[in-house]
Amino acid sequence: MSKNQRTAYIALLAAQAVIISLLERAIPFPFAIAPGAKLGLANIITCMALYTLSTRDTLKVIIIRLILATLLGGTISTFMYSASGAILSFIGMWAVKKLGPNRVSLIGVSTTGAILHNVGQLFVASWIAQTWTVLLYLPVLSFVGILSGIATGIMANYLLSHVEKLNYYRSLQELN
Amino acid sequence: MKSYYKMIKRWDIIIVFSLILLSFLPFVIFSYVQSINITKASVKVAIISVNNKEIDRILLTNHTGIDIFDVYDDDGGLNTIEVNNGRIRIKGADCGDQICVLTGFIYKPGETIICLPHKLVIEIQSVEGSSDEVIISS
Repeated sequence: MSKNQRTAYIALLAAQAVIISLLERAIPFPFAIAPGAKLGLANIITCMALYTLSTRDTLKVIIIRLILATLLGGTISTFMYSASGAILSFIGMWAVKKLGPNRVSLIGVSTTGAILHNVGQLFVASWIAQTWTVLLYLPVLSFVGILSGIATGIMANYLLSHVEKLNYYRSLQELN
Repeated sequence: MKSYYKMIKRWDIIIVFSLILLSFLPFVIFSYVQSINITKASVKVAIISVNNKEIDRILLTNHTGIDIFDVYDDDGGLNTIEVNNGRIRIKGADCGDQICVLTGFIYKPGETIICLPHKLVIEIQSVEGSSDEVIISS
């Protein structure tokens, strides 16, 4: 990948992630049991970036996505929630991916991302509310997180193996 | 269907299960801490605090009937709290997400209702019953 190609690809992924998270905000979540739970579809983009770009460029995609999504309809508090969730989930996904493609597939990576996203958000919530009891809400959120994580993992798996360009970038990334 | 099975690797299953177990960790820790605190002569008290400052304590043990009152935060945000036969809930709020209202009734020690927009927290604690000091029942 040339430098310009890579820049365009990073911008494309970030733009897709922003659009997905904006669209997702418009979907009313059907389960009243878990207020605050989200599908986390933007996780697909993070997965694809993780598998097709270097670590630094993946971080760029995430940071651009966070800032743009906040500017396009978020507040400082939603920024704090999503930033802590995104950073924690990125660290977790990166660590899980380090296990190697023979041991772990995209499903494990995206499930880790989904749950650590919840954990990060709850940490910020408990910091704002000054009580650790907020973390008791974790099992409910992580149940939804695991289901949506598996779904996004399967989706990202299909995208990576069926979209030709992504497949090519992935093989380039694995050669490095 | 077979292609799905091929997609899943062994470590995926290990990771998913360990994450499920890990998500219950705070629950285990809290109930452990609570079980140490509870003594036989303890009573349940709901502590209402706004912006990390305690504003009211309500005795829940032996409470009967229905009490409804309003709590305002520093910016004038309103939460209507209902105490109903030893259980407490937020009946209504003028915040955006209504998560606190959807939480419903709580009554066990350690349970909380949190309204983040108004920085309002209701927490149930078990307090030594013998020392009847600052417990104000309303």
